[in-house]
Amino acid sequence: MTNLNLSDEWNGILLKLKKWARINSPWAIHYNSGSCNGCDIEILATLTPRYDAERLGVKLQGSPRHADVLICTGPVTLQSRDRLRRIYEQMPDPKFVVAVGSCAISGGVFQGCYNVVGHIDEVIPVDAYVPGCPPRPEAIIDGLVKLLTALKQGDPPPTERPTELELENYDAATI
Amino acid sequence: MDSVVNVAALLVFPGGLFVIAAGLFYEWIDRKIIARLQNRLGPRWFQPFADTVKLLAKEEIVPERVNPILFVALPLTALAGALTAALYVPMAGLKPAFSFPGDLIVTVYMLSLLTLCTGLAGATTRDRFSLVGATRTLTQLFAYEAPFLLALLGPAIAAGSWQISEITAYTETHVWILVTQPIGFIVALIGLMGKLELPPFDSPEAETEIVAGALTEYSGRGLAIFHLGKGVELVIGLTLITSFYLGGLSNPLAFVLKTVGLLVVLAALQSLMTRLRIDQTVGLWWRYGALLVLVQWLILFVIQIV
Repeated sequence: MTNLNLSDEWNGILLKLKKWARINSPWAIHYNSGSCNGCDIEILATLTPRYDAERLGVKLQGSPRHADVLICTGPVTLQSRDRLRRIYEQMPDPKFVVAVGSCAISGGVFQGCYNVVGHIDEVIPVDAYVPGCPPRPEAIIDGLVKLLTALKQGDPPPTERPTELELENYDAATI
Repeated sequence: MDSVVNVAALLVFPGGLFVIAAGLFYEWIDRKIIARLQNRLGPRWFQPFADTVKLLAKEEIVPERVNPILFVALPLTALAGALTAALYVPMAGLKPAFSFPGDLIVTVYMLSLLTLCTGLAGATTRDRFSLVGATRTLTQLFAYEAPFLLALLGPAIAAGSWQISEITAYTETHVWILVTQPIGFIVALIGLMGKLELPPFDSPEAETEIVAGALTEYSGRGLAIFHLGKGVELVIGLTLITSFYLGGLSNPLAFVLKTVGLLVVLAALQSLMTRLRIDQTVGLWWRYGALLVLVQWLILFVIQIV
Protein backbone atom coordinates (compact mmCIF):
# COMPACT_ATOMS: atom_id res chain seq x y z
CA MET A 1 0.00 0.00 0.00
CA THR A 2 2.66 2.51 0.97
CA ASN A 3 4.51 2.08 -2.35
CA LEU A 4 1.61 3.32 -4.45
CA ASN A 5 2.73 6.99 -4.45
CA LEU A 6 0.02 8.02 -2.05
CA SER A 7 0.23 11.60 -0.94
CA ASP A 8 1.52 12.30 2.54
CA GLU A 9 -1.85 13.60 3.62
CA TRP A 10 -3.61 10.41 2.63
CA ASN A 11 -0.92 8.36 4.36
CA GLY A 12 -1.40 10.43 7.49
CA ILE A 13 -5.13 9.74 7.50
CA LEU A 14 -4.49 6.02 7.03
CA LEU A 15 -1.99 6.00 9.89
CA LYS A 16 -4.45 7.81 12.14
CA LEU A 17 -7.20 5.33 11.25
CA LYS A 18 -4.89 2.40 11.97
CA LYS A 19 -3.86 3.84 15.31
CA TRP A 20 -7.47 4.59 16.27
CA ALA A 21 -8.54 1.05 15.42
CA ARG A 22 -5.59 -0.44 17.30
CA ILE A 23 -6.39 1.53 20.44
CA ASN A 24 -10.09 0.71 20.32
CA SER A 25 -9.86 -3.00 19.73
CA PRO A 26 -7.23 -4.69 21.92
CA TRP A 27 -7.97 -8.41 21.71
CA ALA A 28 -6.27 -10.24 24.52
CA ILE A 29 -4.87 -13.67 25.18
CA HIS A 30 -4.09 -14.86 28.66
CA TYR A 31 -1.15 -17.08 29.59
CA ASN A 32 -0.20 -18.39 33.00
CA SER A 33 3.51 -19.20 33.07
CA GLY A 34 3.60 -20.56 36.61
CA SER A 35 1.33 -18.35 38.66
CA CYS A 36 -0.54 -19.47 41.79
CA ASN A 37 -3.86 -18.74 39.97
CA GLY A 38 -4.62 -15.69 42.13
CA CYS A 39 -3.95 -13.24 39.30
CA ASP A 40 -5.76 -15.46 36.78
CA ILE A 41 -8.93 -15.35 38.84
CA GLU A 42 -8.66 -11.55 38.97
CA ILE A 43 -8.20 -11.40 35.18
CA LEU A 44 -11.30 -13.52 34.71
CA ALA A 45 -13.12 -11.23 37.13
CA THR A 46 -12.10 -8.31 34.90
CA LEU A 47 -13.88 -9.96 31.99
CA THR A 48 -17.09 -10.71 33.88
CA PRO A 49 -20.21 -8.46 33.64
CA ARG A 50 -19.25 -6.55 36.83
CA TYR A 51 -16.27 -4.86 35.12
CA ASP A 52 -17.14 -5.68 31.48
CA ALA A 53 -13.93 -5.19 29.55
CA GLU A 54 -15.85 -5.44 26.27
CA ARG A 55 -16.92 -1.80 26.65
CA LEU A 56 -13.25 -0.95 25.97
CA GLY A 57 -13.16 -3.36 23.04
CA VAL A 58 -11.28 -6.07 24.93
CA LYS A 59 -12.17 -9.57 23.78
CA LEU A 60 -10.52 -12.69 25.13
CA GLN A 61 -9.23 -14.79 22.25
CA GLY A 62 -8.25 -18.43 22.31
CA SER A 63 -5.68 -18.30 19.54
CA PRO A 64 -2.45 -16.26 19.75
CA ARG A 65 -2.85 -15.55 16.02
CA HIS A 66 -5.95 -13.45 16.75
CA ALA A 67 -4.61 -11.53 19.74
CA ASP A 68 -2.93 -8.13 20.14
CA VAL A 69 -2.22 -8.11 23.86
CA LEU A 70 -0.60 -10.98 25.74
CA ILE A 71 -1.59 -10.87 29.40
CA CYS A 72 0.99 -12.82 31.41
CA THR A 73 0.76 -13.87 35.02
CA GLY A 74 3.23 -15.51 37.34
CA PRO A 75 6.96 -16.10 37.32
CA VAL A 76 8.38 -18.00 34.36
CA THR A 77 9.15 -21.58 35.26
CA LEU A 78 11.78 -23.60 33.41
CA GLN A 79 9.06 -25.67 31.81
CA SER A 80 6.92 -22.79 30.57
CA ARG A 81 9.79 -20.61 29.29
CA ASP A 82 9.79 -22.09 25.78
CA ARG A 83 5.99 -22.13 25.64
CA LEU A 84 5.75 -18.47 26.63
CA ARG A 85 8.32 -17.51 24.00
CA ARG A 86 6.52 -19.59 21.37
CA ILE A 87 3.14 -17.99 22.14
CA TYR A 88 4.75 -14.56 21.87
CA GLU A 89 6.30 -15.43 18.52
CA GLN A 90 3.02 -16.83 17.19
CA MET A 91 1.29 -13.46 17.67
CA PRO A 92 1.18 -11.19 14.61
CA ASP A 93 2.71 -7.69 14.81
CA PRO A 94 1.99 -5.20 16.34
CA LYS A 95 1.81 -7.00 19.69
CA PHE A 96 1.99 -5.90 23.30
CA VAL A 97 2.63 -7.66 26.58
CA VAL A 98 1.10 -6.83 29.94
CA ALA A 99 2.67 -8.43 33.02
CA VAL A 100 0.08 -8.83 35.78
CA GLY A 101 1.01 -9.40 39.42
CA SER A 102 4.09 -9.18 41.60
CA CYS A 103 5.50 -12.51 40.40
CA ALA A 104 5.32 -11.42 36.77
CA ILE A 105 7.21 -8.23 37.64
CA SER A 106 9.92 -9.55 39.91
CA GLY A 107 9.44 -13.26 40.47
CA GLY A 108 7.71 -12.50 43.75
CA VAL A 109 7.88 -15.17 46.40
CA PHE A 110 9.17 -17.62 43.82
CA GLN A 111 12.34 -15.60 43.26
CA GLY A 112 15.39 -17.86 43.36
CA CYS A 113 13.47 -21.12 43.25
CA TYR A 114 15.39 -23.97 41.62
CA ASN A 115 12.72 -24.36 38.90
CA VAL A 116 12.06 -20.69 38.15
CA VAL A 117 13.77 -18.61 35.44
CA GLY A 118 12.55 -15.30 36.87
CA HIS A 119 10.21 -12.52 35.87
CA ILE A 120 8.48 -12.14 32.51
CA ASP A 121 10.81 -9.62 30.88
CA GLU A 122 13.76 -11.96 31.20
CA VAL A 123 12.01 -13.99 28.49
CA ILE A 124 9.94 -11.57 26.37
CA PRO A 125 9.72 -7.73 26.22
CA VAL A 126 6.98 -6.29 28.44
CA ASP A 127 5.04 -3.09 27.64
CA ALA A 128 3.04 -2.54 30.81
CA TYR A 129 3.26 -3.73 34.42
CA VAL A 130 0.37 -4.18 36.83
CA PRO A 131 1.64 -4.69 40.39
CA GLY A 132 -0.34 -6.34 43.17
CA CYS A 133 -0.69 -9.71 44.81
CA PRO A 134 -3.12 -10.22 43.22
CA PRO A 135 -3.99 -6.89 41.52
CA ARG A 136 -7.65 -5.95 41.67
CA PRO A 137 -9.65 -5.89 38.40
CA GLU A 138 -9.61 -2.07 38.57
CA ALA A 139 -5.81 -2.19 38.60
CA ILE A 140 -5.72 -4.51 35.57
CA ILE A 141 -8.06 -2.21 33.63
CA ASP A 142 -5.91 0.75 34.73
CA GLY A 143 -2.79 -0.98 33.40
CA LEU A 144 -4.46 -1.71 30.09
CA VAL A 145 -5.73 1.88 29.76
CA LYS A 146 -2.20 3.16 30.50
CA LEU A 147 -0.84 0.96 27.72
CA LEU A 148 -3.49 2.26 25.30
CA THR A 149 -2.89 5.88 26.35
CA ALA A 150 0.81 5.47 25.71
CA LEU A 151 -0.02 4.12 22.25
CA LYS A 152 -2.35 7.04 21.59
CA GLN A 153 0.27 9.64 22.49
CA GLY A 154 2.71 7.90 20.20
CA ASP A 155 5.24 7.48 22.97
CA PRO A 156 7.06 4.22 23.12
CA PRO A 157 5.17 2.23 25.77
CA PRO A 158 6.90 2.19 29.16
CA THR A 159 9.27 -0.74 28.90
CA GLU A 160 11.31 -0.03 32.04
CA ARG A 161 10.58 -2.09 35.05
CA PRO A 162 9.15 -0.20 38.03
CA THR A 163 11.78 0.42 40.72
CA GLU A 164 11.56 -1.25 44.11
CA LEU A 165 10.62 2.13 45.62
CA GLU A 166 7.72 2.56 43.21
CA LEU A 167 6.52 -0.91 44.03
CA GLU A 168 6.66 -0.18 47.76
CA ASN A 169 4.77 3.09 47.34
CA TYR A 170 2.10 1.46 45.20
CA ASP A 171 -1.14 1.31 47.14
CA ALA A 172 -3.83 -0.79 45.55
CA ALA A 173 -6.45 0.67 47.88
CA THR A 174 -6.12 4.13 46.29
CA ILE A 175 -7.39 2.92 42.92
CA MET B 1 -25.59 3.21 -18.71
CA ASP B 2 -26.77 -0.28 -17.93
CA SER B 3 -23.25 -1.45 -17.21
CA VAL B 4 -22.72 1.48 -14.81
CA VAL B 5 -25.86 0.50 -12.90
CA ASN B 6 -24.70 -3.13 -12.80
CA VAL B 7 -21.25 -2.20 -11.48
CA ALA B 8 -22.86 0.02 -8.86
CA ALA B 9 -25.13 -2.87 -7.86
CA LEU B 10 -22.06 -5.08 -7.45
CA LEU B 11 -19.85 -2.64 -5.56
CA VAL B 12 -22.10 -0.21 -3.70
CA PHE B 13 -25.73 -1.28 -3.35
CA PRO B 14 -27.07 -3.88 -2.63
CA GLY B 15 -23.80 -5.84 -2.95
CA GLY B 16 -20.42 -4.56 -1.77
CA LEU B 17 -20.17 -1.60 0.57
CA PHE B 18 -23.78 -1.37 1.71
CA VAL B 19 -24.10 -4.97 2.79
CA ILE B 20 -20.67 -4.96 4.46
CA ALA B 21 -21.60 -1.84 6.46
CA ALA B 22 -24.97 -3.38 7.32
CA GLY B 23 -23.19 -6.57 8.43
CA LEU B 24 -20.93 -4.62 10.81
CA PHE B 25 -23.91 -2.70 12.19
CA TYR B 26 -26.01 -5.82 12.74
CA GLU B 27 -23.05 -7.51 14.42
CA TRP B 28 -22.90 -4.59 16.84
CA ILE B 29 -26.64 -4.83 17.57
CA ASP B 30 -26.23 -8.55 18.23
CA ARG B 31 -23.28 -8.07 20.60
CA LYS B 32 -24.95 -5.14 22.36
CA ILE B 33 -28.21 -7.00 23.00
CA ILE B 34 -26.34 -10.03 24.34
CA ALA B 35 -24.31 -7.73 26.60
CA ARG B 36 -27.45 -6.04 27.92
CA LEU B 37 -29.07 -9.42 28.56
CA GLN B 38 -25.97 -10.40 30.55
CA ASN B 39 -26.25 -7.15 32.56
CA ARG B 40 -23.18 -5.59 30.91
CA LEU B 41 -22.69 -2.28 29.12
CA GLY B 42 -21.52 -3.93 25.95
CA PRO B 43 -19.35 -2.71 23.08
CA ARG B 44 -19.47 0.80 21.60
CA TRP B 45 -21.27 1.29 18.31
CA PHE B 46 -18.12 1.39 16.18
CA GLN B 47 -16.62 -1.74 17.76
CA PRO B 48 -16.99 -4.17 14.80
CA PHE B 49 -15.62 -1.51 12.45
CA ALA B 50 -12.61 -0.89 14.70
CA ASP B 51 -12.02 -4.64 14.97
CA THR B 52 -12.06 -5.02 11.19
CA VAL B 53 -9.73 -2.07 10.52
CA LYS B 54 -7.32 -3.30 13.17
CA LEU B 55 -7.25 -6.80 11.72
CA LEU B 56 -6.73 -5.43 8.21
CA ALA B 57 -3.77 -3.38 9.46
CA LYS B 58 -2.16 -6.31 11.25
CA GLU B 59 0.57 -8.61 10.03
CA GLU B 60 -0.72 -11.66 8.16
CA ILE B 61 1.20 -14.79 9.06
CA VAL B 62 1.14 -17.59 6.50
CA PRO B 63 1.99 -20.71 8.50
CA GLU B 64 4.55 -23.25 7.38
CA ARG B 65 3.56 -26.17 5.14
CA VAL B 66 0.45 -24.40 3.89
CA ASN B 67 -0.40 -23.73 0.26
CA PRO B 68 -0.07 -19.91 0.27
CA ILE B 69 -2.36 -19.35 -2.73
CA LEU B 70 -5.14 -21.38 -1.16
CA PHE B 71 -4.56 -19.70 2.20
CA VAL B 72 -5.06 -16.23 0.69
CA ALA B 73 -7.77 -17.17 -1.82
CA LEU B 74 -10.17 -18.96 0.55
CA PRO B 75 -11.33 -15.90 2.57
CA LEU B 76 -11.72 -13.90 -0.64
CA THR B 77 -13.86 -16.66 -2.19
CA ALA B 78 -15.99 -16.83 0.93
CA LEU B 79 -16.65 -13.07 0.94
CA ALA B 80 -17.30 -13.07 -2.81
CA GLY B 81 -19.90 -15.82 -2.41
CA ALA B 82 -21.69 -13.97 0.37
CA LEU B 83 -21.66 -10.68 -1.59
CA THR B 84 -23.00 -12.42 -4.70
CA ALA B 85 -25.88 -13.79 -2.67
CA ALA B 86 -26.74 -10.20 -1.66
CA LEU B 87 -27.59 -9.39 -5.29
CA TYR B 88 -30.57 -11.78 -5.37
CA VAL B 89 -32.33 -10.85 -2.13
CA PRO B 90 -34.67 -7.86 -1.58
CA MET B 91 -32.04 -5.88 0.35
CA ALA B 92 -33.40 -2.85 2.27
CA GLY B 93 -36.93 -3.64 1.07
CA LEU B 94 -36.14 -2.80 -2.54
CA LYS B 95 -36.37 -5.12 -5.52
CA PRO B 96 -33.45 -7.56 -5.96
CA ALA B 97 -30.73 -6.22 -8.27
CA PHE B 98 -30.74 -9.38 -10.36
CA SER B 99 -33.39 -12.04 -10.65
CA PHE B 100 -33.99 -15.23 -12.60
CA PRO B 101 -36.22 -18.30 -12.09
CA GLY B 102 -34.64 -20.55 -9.45
CA ASP B 103 -32.38 -17.92 -7.86
CA LEU B 104 -33.46 -19.11 -4.41
CA ILE B 105 -31.33 -22.25 -4.80
CA VAL B 106 -28.35 -20.24 -6.07
CA THR B 107 -28.60 -17.80 -3.14
CA VAL B 108 -28.76 -20.55 -0.52
CA TYR B 109 -25.73 -22.31 -2.00
CA MET B 110 -23.79 -19.05 -2.35
CA LEU B 111 -24.32 -18.62 1.38
CA SER B 112 -22.96 -22.13 1.98
CA LEU B 113 -19.75 -21.15 0.20
CA LEU B 114 -18.61 -19.31 3.33
CA THR B 115 -18.97 -22.42 5.48
CA LEU B 116 -17.29 -24.55 2.84
CA CYS B 117 -14.35 -22.12 2.59
CA THR B 118 -14.03 -22.02 6.39
CA GLY B 119 -13.88 -25.81 6.44
CA LEU B 120 -11.27 -25.92 3.69
CA ALA B 121 -9.26 -23.18 5.40
CA GLY B 122 -9.15 -25.30 8.53
CA ALA B 123 -8.27 -28.45 6.62
CA THR B 124 -5.35 -26.91 4.70
CA THR B 125 -3.45 -25.83 7.80
CA ARG B 126 -1.46 -28.39 9.78
CA ASP B 127 -2.80 -27.28 13.12
CA ARG B 128 -4.72 -29.94 15.04
CA PHE B 129 -7.26 -27.45 16.39
CA SER B 130 -8.14 -26.11 12.97
CA LEU B 131 -8.45 -29.69 11.69
CA VAL B 132 -10.94 -30.59 14.41
CA GLY B 133 -12.72 -27.29 13.78
CA ALA B 134 -12.88 -27.98 10.04
CA THR B 135 -14.32 -31.44 10.64
CA ARG B 136 -16.97 -30.00 12.91
CA THR B 137 -17.77 -27.13 10.52
CA LEU B 138 -18.35 -29.51 7.61
CA THR B 139 -20.29 -32.00 9.77
CA GLN B 140 -22.55 -29.18 10.89
CA LEU B 141 -22.95 -28.03 7.27
CA PHE B 142 -24.36 -31.45 6.36
CA ALA B 143 -26.61 -31.34 9.41
CA TYR B 144 -28.43 -28.01 8.97
CA GLU B 145 -28.23 -27.52 5.22
CA ALA B 146 -31.07 -29.84 4.19
CA PRO B 147 -33.64 -28.76 6.83
CA PHE B 148 -32.80 -25.08 6.24
CA LEU B 149 -33.29 -25.38 2.50
CA LEU B 150 -36.51 -27.39 2.98
CA ALA B 151 -37.79 -24.73 5.37
CA LEU B 152 -37.11 -22.00 2.81
CA LEU B 153 -38.85 -24.03 0.12
CA GLY B 154 -42.10 -24.06 2.13
CA PRO B 155 -43.02 -20.46 1.18
CA ALA B 156 -41.73 -21.17 -2.32
CA ILE B 157 -44.29 -23.96 -2.72
CA ALA B 158 -47.03 -21.73 -1.32
CA ALA B 159 -46.11 -19.02 -3.83
CA GLY B 160 -45.68 -21.49 -6.66
CA SER B 161 -42.29 -20.11 -7.69
CA TRP B 162 -38.60 -20.59 -6.92
CA GLN B 163 -37.76 -16.99 -7.73
CA ILE B 164 -37.10 -14.79 -4.69
CA SER B 165 -38.75 -11.67 -6.13
CA GLU B 166 -41.96 -13.59 -6.94
CA ILE B 167 -42.08 -15.23 -3.50
CA THR B 168 -41.63 -11.79 -1.90
CA ALA B 169 -44.43 -10.38 -4.05
CA TYR B 170 -46.64 -13.27 -2.89
CA THR B 171 -45.83 -12.83 0.82
CA GLU B 172 -46.48 -9.09 0.67
CA THR B 173 -50.03 -9.60 -0.55
CA HIS B 174 -51.01 -12.56 1.64
CA VAL B 175 -51.24 -13.22 5.37
CA TRP B 176 -47.83 -13.69 7.07
CA ILE B 177 -46.48 -17.16 6.32
CA LEU B 178 -45.32 -17.27 9.96
CA VAL B 179 -49.02 -17.81 10.76
CA THR B 180 -49.71 -20.43 8.10
CA GLN B 181 -46.39 -22.32 8.38
CA PRO B 182 -45.14 -21.84 11.97
CA ILE B 183 -43.05 -25.04 12.01
CA GLY B 184 -41.16 -23.99 8.89
CA PHE B 185 -40.36 -20.62 10.47
CA ILE B 186 -38.88 -22.20 13.59
CA VAL B 187 -36.74 -24.57 11.52
CA ALA B 188 -35.57 -21.74 9.25
CA LEU B 189 -34.67 -19.53 12.23
CA ILE B 190 -32.70 -22.27 13.97
CA GLY B 191 -31.16 -23.18 10.62
CA LEU B 192 -29.86 -19.64 10.33
CA MET B 193 -28.33 -19.94 13.80
CA GLY B 194 -26.61 -23.15 12.73
CA LYS B 195 -25.41 -21.53 9.52
CA LEU B 196 -23.87 -18.60 11.39
CA GLU B 197 -22.42 -20.90 14.07
CA LEU B 198 -24.11 -18.92 16.83
CA PRO B 199 -24.63 -20.47 20.27
CA PRO B 200 -25.94 -23.13 20.90
CA PHE B 201 -24.52 -24.35 17.58
CA ASP B 202 -21.02 -22.91 18.04
CA SER B 203 -19.17 -26.16 18.64
CA PRO B 204 -17.15 -25.65 15.37
CA GLU B 205 -15.48 -22.62 16.97
CA ALA B 206 -15.73 -23.61 20.62
CA GLU B 207 -13.02 -21.46 22.18
CA THR B 208 -12.93 -23.50 25.38
CA GLU B 209 -12.21 -26.76 23.55
CA ILE B 210 -10.50 -26.18 20.21
CA VAL B 211 -9.02 -22.63 20.52
CA ALA B 212 -10.81 -20.93 17.61
CA GLY B 213 -11.85 -23.80 15.37
CA ALA B 214 -11.06 -23.77 11.68
CA LEU B 215 -9.76 -20.18 11.72
CA THR B 216 -7.16 -20.76 14.46
CA GLU B 217 -4.20 -20.17 12.11
CA TYR B 218 -5.68 -17.09 10.40
CA SER B 219 -4.42 -13.69 11.43
CA GLY B 220 -4.87 -10.17 10.14
CA ARG B 221 -6.43 -9.80 6.71
CA GLY B 222 -7.77 -13.35 6.25
CA LEU B 223 -9.50 -13.29 9.61
CA ALA B 224 -10.97 -9.84 8.92
CA ILE B 225 -12.39 -10.98 5.59
CA PHE B 226 -13.93 -14.10 7.14
CA HIS B 227 -15.52 -11.87 9.82
CA LEU B 228 -16.92 -9.54 7.16
CA GLY B 229 -18.30 -12.53 5.27
CA LYS B 230 -20.07 -13.73 8.39
CA GLY B 231 -21.64 -10.31 8.95
CA VAL B 232 -22.85 -10.22 5.34
CA GLU B 233 -24.31 -13.68 5.76
CA LEU B 234 -26.15 -12.57 8.90
CA VAL B 235 -27.82 -9.71 7.02
CA ILE B 236 -28.76 -11.87 4.02
CA GLY B 237 -30.11 -14.67 6.20
CA LEU B 238 -32.26 -12.23 8.19
CA THR B 239 -33.49 -10.63 4.96
CA LEU B 240 -34.42 -13.99 3.45
CA ILE B 241 -36.34 -15.20 6.50
CA THR B 242 -38.18 -11.90 7.05
CA SER B 243 -39.14 -11.58 3.40
CA PHE B 244 -40.39 -15.17 3.30
CA TYR B 245 -42.03 -15.63 6.68
CA LEU B 246 -42.72 -12.17 8.12
CA GLY B 247 -44.90 -10.69 5.41
CA GLY B 248 -42.27 -9.46 2.98
CA LEU B 249 -40.25 -6.25 2.89
CA SER B 250 -42.13 -3.53 1.07
CA ASN B 251 -40.00 -0.53 2.12
CA PRO B 252 -36.72 0.26 3.95
CA LEU B 253 -38.52 1.01 7.22
CA ALA B 254 -40.19 -2.40 7.23
CA PHE B 255 -36.80 -3.94 6.40
CA VAL B 256 -35.09 -2.32 9.40
CA LEU B 257 -37.95 -3.01 11.84
CA LYS B 258 -38.47 -6.64 10.86
CA THR B 259 -34.83 -7.70 10.53
CA VAL B 260 -33.82 -6.00 13.79
CA GLY B 261 -36.84 -7.57 15.50
CA LEU B 262 -35.72 -10.98 14.28
CA LEU B 263 -32.16 -10.22 15.39
CA VAL B 264 -33.42 -9.49 18.92
CA VAL B 265 -35.05 -12.94 18.97
CA LEU B 266 -31.79 -14.49 17.72
CA ALA B 267 -29.73 -12.69 20.38
CA ALA B 268 -32.13 -13.75 23.14
CA LEU B 269 -31.92 -17.37 21.99
CA GLN B 270 -28.12 -17.14 21.92
CA SER B 271 -27.83 -15.90 25.48
CA LEU B 272 -30.43 -18.39 26.73
CA MET B 273 -28.80 -21.60 25.58
CA THR B 274 -25.49 -23.32 26.10
CA ARG B 275 -23.35 -25.04 23.55
CA LEU B 276 -24.45 -28.40 22.13
CA ARG B 277 -21.94 -31.13 21.35
CA ILE B 278 -21.46 -31.75 17.64
CA ASP B 279 -23.26 -35.12 17.80
CA GLN B 280 -26.18 -33.49 19.62
CA THR B 281 -26.34 -30.80 16.91
CA VAL B 282 -26.45 -33.37 14.12
CA GLY B 283 -28.99 -35.46 16.03
CA LEU B 284 -31.20 -32.42 16.63
CA TRP B 285 -31.23 -31.53 12.96
CA TRP B 286 -31.86 -34.94 11.48
CA ARG B 287 -34.14 -36.34 14.19
CA TYR B 288 -36.29 -33.27 14.73
CA GLY B 289 -35.50 -30.48 12.23
CA ALA B 290 -35.82 -32.48 9.04
CA LEU B 291 -38.79 -34.46 10.35
CA LEU B 292 -40.66 -31.33 11.47
CA VAL B 293 -40.18 -29.60 8.15
CA LEU B 294 -41.39 -32.71 6.32
CA VAL B 295 -44.52 -32.73 8.49
CA GLN B 296 -44.97 -29.07 7.52
CA TRP B 297 -44.69 -30.00 3.83
CA LEU B 298 -47.22 -32.80 4.28
CA ILE B 299 -49.75 -30.39 5.83
CA LEU B 300 -49.05 -27.94 3.01
CA PHE B 301 -49.65 -30.55 0.30
CA VAL B 302 -52.81 -31.84 1.96
CA ILE B 303 -54.22 -28.30 2.18
CA GLN B 304 -53.26 -27.54 -1.42
CA ILE B 305 -54.89 -30.74 -2.72
CA VAL B 306 -58.03 -30.26 -0.61
